[in-house]
Order: sequence, then C-alpha cells, then structure tokens
Amino acid sequence: MFGSYRLQRLPSSHAGIALAARVAAIVIALLVAGIGIALAGMNPLNLGARVITASFGSAFGMEDLGVLIIPLILTGLAVAVAQQVGAWNIGAEGQFYAGAFAATAIGLFVPGEGPLILMLMFVAGMAGGAAWILVPTLARAYANVNELITTLLLNFVATLLVYYVSTGPWRDRSGMANSATPPLSTDVPSFWGIVHWGFPIAIGLAVLVAAVLAFSRWGYEVRLVGSNPSAAKYAGIPVRKHLIAVMLLSGGIAGIAGMLEIAGTVHRLQGGISNNFGYLGIMVAVLARGSPIGVIFSGALMALILNSGIILQTQGLTTSIVLAITGFILFLTAIGDELSYYRITREKA
Amino acid sequence: MDLLTGLLTTAFLAGAVLALAALGEVLTERVGVVNLGVEGLMAMGAVTGIATVTVVPSPMLGFLAALVVGALFGMVFALATVYVRANQVLCGLALTLMGSGLASTIGRNYSGMPSPVIFEPVKVPVLSEIPVLGPAFFSQNILFYLIYLILPIFFSYLMFSTRHGLNMRAVGENPAAADAAGIPVNLMRFSYVTIGAALAAGAGAYLTLAFVPSWSDGVVAGRGWIAVALVIFAGYRPIMATLSGLLFGLITALGFVGQARGWPIAPAFLSMLPYLGTVAFIIVPVLAWQKMRRAMAAPAALAVPYYRDMR
Repeated sequence: MFGSYRLQRLPSSHAGIALAARVAAIVIALLVAGIGIALAGMNPLNLGARVITASFGSAFGMEDLGVLIIPLILTGLAVAVAQQVGAWNIGAEGQFYAGAFAATAIGLFVPGEGPLILMLMFVAGMAGGAAWILVPTLARAYANVNELITTLLLNFVATLLVYYVSTGPWRDRSGMANSATPPLSTDVPSFWGIVHWGFPIAIGLAVLVAAVLAFSRWGYEVRLVGSNPSAAKYAGIPVRKHLIAVMLLSGGIAGIAGMLEIAGTVHRLQGGISNNFGYLGIMVAVLARGSPIGVIFSGALMALILNSGIILQTQGLTTSIVLAITGFILFLTAIGDELSYYRITREKA
Repeated sequence: MDLLTGLLTTAFLAGAVLALAALGEVLTERVGVVNLGVEGLMAMGAVTGIATVTVVPSPMLGFLAALVVGALFGMVFALATVYVRANQVLCGLALTLMGSGLASTIGRNYSGMPSPVIFEPVKVPVLSEIPVLGPAFFSQNILFYLIYLILPIFFSYLMFSTRHGLNMRAVGENPAAADAAGIPVNLMRFSYVTIGAALAAGAGAYLTLAFVPSWSDGVVAGRGWIAVALVIFAGYRPIMATLSGLLFGLITALGFVGQARGWPIAPAFLSMLPYLGTVAFIIVPVLAWQKMRRAMAAPAALAVPYYRDMR
C-alpha cells in the first residue's frame, strides 16, 4: 500500500539541498562552537551579543567588516576561477603575499605619487600573484603534476620571503617598529571611513569574471574544460592554453588582494599581513559552489565569521579558533554536498 | 661534534617526522584514499603529546595519546570519505584547518614552554662508538628505531609479500574487482585511513617530544604537506617513503647547520629549502624518468569514492 522507499544517487546534485546543507553546516558549527565556549566557562550568548553589537552596532564595526570583505572576495574568487577550469589553487595565501611584495617594491622604490603609481602597484600585484603560480601551472599543464600540493608549498616560501624583506632589507629604519617596511607614500583612497576603493574593485572583478565566464566564447570553453577535459579536447578546444590562462588569472586575482591589502588597509608590508585570507578563500569558494557571483556573498559571510574571531580575541579567545570553526563548516559542507546527490524515491510494491 | 656528524644527526632527527607521516599517508593512499589533513593531524598530535607529558611525565604515554587522538580524527575523516563518500580533497582541507586551528587554540597554554620530558637517546653499546655513523644512527631515541627500521620493513612486507597486502593494493587499484572477490572494500579503507591518521599524529608528537622539543604556534610548519608530497616522490612505497623522509631531513639539517655556522645566507632563505626542494622533487622526476612512470604511478582508484551499486 505504501510501496517501498529507497535512496537513489542521481548524476547531478540538487542545488537547493546543497544550499540548505551550507546553512545547516554553519548553524551546526556555530552551535558546536557555542558549546565549546560554554565548556570553557564563558557565556556563549553574551559573547554572541557582543559580536553582533561590535560588528553592526557602530559605523566602526561595519567599516571593519567592509575592509575584511575585500581580500576574502578576491581570494575566494581566485580559488573559484581555478575551480572553473578544474584546478585546485590552494596557494592563494602565497600569491597574496607575492602580490603584496611586488606592489610594495613599486611603492617603496619608484619615485612619485598619485594614480600612475597606484596603477603600477596594481599591475605589479597582479603580476606577482601570477608569477607565484607560474611553476605549479606549467608543471600541471606540461607534466600533469598535481597543482594542489605545489601551490600550497609555495605559500610557505612567500611567507618567509615577506618576513625576510620586512625585517631585513626593507625594514623601517626610522621608527621603533623594526618588523615592517616604512609606510607607503601612495594609498588606495578611502570612500567610507576606512573602507577603500578596493571594495568596489573586488565586487566589480567578481561580476566581470562571472560575465566573461557566462557569456563569452572563451568562458564557455573554459567551463567545458573544467567539467570534461577529454570532451573539450575532442571538440578541438585548446585545453592546455585555457588551463594556463585561467590558473595565471587565479594567481593574479589573489595578488590583487595582496596589493589592495597593503595599499588600502595596512599601508605597509609586514609579516602576517594575511589573516589566513588565502586559506579562508578556499572556504569562500566552496560555500559559493565555485560561482564568481556567489563569492561576493560567501565572502561577506566569511568576513563576518573572521571579524567575530577578531572581536573575541579581546575576550581571551584566539583567531585560530576561527580557522577550526571554518574547517568544521567546510567538513560539514563537503558531506552535505555529497548528500545533495541523493533522492528518496518511492517504488510501487 | 664535527660538521658531518652534526649534519647526519640532525638529518635523522628531522627526517623521522617526515618519514613517519609519509608512511601513514602511503598506507592511506594505497587503499585509494587521499588524506590532505596530515598537516592538521600532526598539529593535533604535537599538542596532544605536550599536553599529556605536562600531566604525566612519560614521553611514551604522550606519543600513545597522540596516536589515539589521530586515530579518532582519522575515523571521523574515514566515515565522511569512505562511508558517506564526501569529496576527499574538501574533507582533507577541512581536517587541516580544524586540526591546525584547534591545536593552536589548545596549545596557547603551552606556548614556548619546553617539553618537561623528552625521548632520551639510547646508546647502543659498541655500535655507538663508530665514528660519524655511531652518534647519528646508534645514539638516538627509541622511536627513532621504530620509525626507520621496524615500521617501514613491517609495512613493506605486509604490503608486498602477504595476501592481505595484495588485497589492500587491489582495493586501491580496482575496488569493484576487489569487492567482487569478496574483499571488504570499505572496511579496508576505513582501517588504513585510521592507521595512517594515527601515524601522522604520532609524527606530530615526535616533533614536540623528541625533535624541537617544545610547542609553539605553527610548529608543524608545512611538514604535513611535505609528507603528502613525499608519498608521490616515493612512488607509494613504505621504504622509499622513509628514505625520502630522511633525504628531506638532510635538506632541513643543511639549513640548520648553515644558520648555526653563520653561513652568509639569510636564515629565511635556508628555511625555504625544504619547501622549494619538495616542489622540485615532485616535478623533476616526472620529467626525468619517463620510463619509471608506470612503476611509480598512483593507485588507479586514488581519491575515487567507491559506489557498489554504480559498478
């Protein structure tokens, strides 16, 4: 009379279920974090209220969020773009540092100020990020070496390089702080409190990339390479060329994030300028299911989570707890993504 | 101590961390699962080790506690990837973020504190008197012999000379055929993912209880990722993984010796050596030894979840 129910795995995932799984993952992760905080002897509801008032209660809080959104959208976009062509760029952190490094070189050593220097810094940041992913890109394209590990390992090299120049040859010799470069003479101008023009640039880039991928012939070919490389090759699409172009673009976008961070937010280069932006970018891209437009929203969400961690630092928690919670959300999302392929179907007995 | 002895002693010490983690990942990948959470597992093992010995002053207990914590995390990862069949790359990255973040949070109380007890070196009588090799190889702690001799030989024998090992490799190469032959594919994967994760966490405990030996934030410093890369370089073989761990121990030791002796290279650049070396060592062999490709290839079903009803 009722027939029998069975679980069936379909070849395509259900977007609605995948989205619901993301919401559920975040709720569960926050609940678990709350329980953890309660076990540590603090009141999670008090802390939560504090986070909300500190984030949304004042213009300063909103500005902090606005500044955090910029690098998170861009590193998320970098990871998402690479995903479109079927590559894992886990090295956005290193490309971020490389972009910041290259842009600082222009800012410190090219005389002059104004828009021209800013343009040069922007290009240098992009080139620095792209240069940082060049070897992994060529290794993947010509020798089929997994780009996941090579991009990741270069993160450590970039971090060490920035640490070296900002405490060594480029360090500020005038002030007391000797672990950072002197302030840069050229800044990305702000338009609302401390929120600078990197904000519209980040959103604009995401929209631009989404439009190119969705409406251009090139974008169509890239997406085809990402979803089925052998079919793309059979159809005469230059798979290798697209792979190289998109991976370099991915590195370049992460480099722009680094450039905007030093030129707009921090105003000087120092070790640890990235709040794990590159790693959190992976999360931003996954939450957005690799969609460049979605990255804008998941970037904002991630900024809120990261900002909460920074606020809670004053309450005796560390920002590393943000990393742990992010990882937990990612874990639950991965499970939810797999479950979104299943349907419960009813068979007539 | 002369230069060569110092170099070798440090190389063996530093290499053991990578060798143990890489061995664990070889077991994991041979059954067809890629675990990118090694970095996080090592961090958890490192902090578990130091937290345990501050309560009970026994390095062995600290190491065992790390194995248990690693196994628990490994089971969670294996449940998600083997039974639920969630994306292995995502789950691995998640495990790295969770492990690193959680370890830093827990480790705040132990930051900068040297480990109260460490694995003390055991001098092998007579043999430890041999010049150069004696101090490097026969005056090390007890785990050292486990990592360099017992475990690689045991797992190599198990993998290549027993029926169980054949079954194990079959699961990684062709799970459908293995299933048809009556091998419990999921159980096999679950078990070796768990063992591999335990060994990774053990490598972390070795870091804080024998090598460094103290906890500081970021003490793992990418060693987990180097270990994952070494597995490729080692062609998924236990003994080769141990040897490549030693090779990278040597590269790390070169940096240390350079710093200690005041070579005119900035320490930051010496610290880059292991990472740059790893990148080079996974790219160059692919280009250089085209003929070796088949023998050194990854298990055919690596990172591919197995669905029985979709054969």
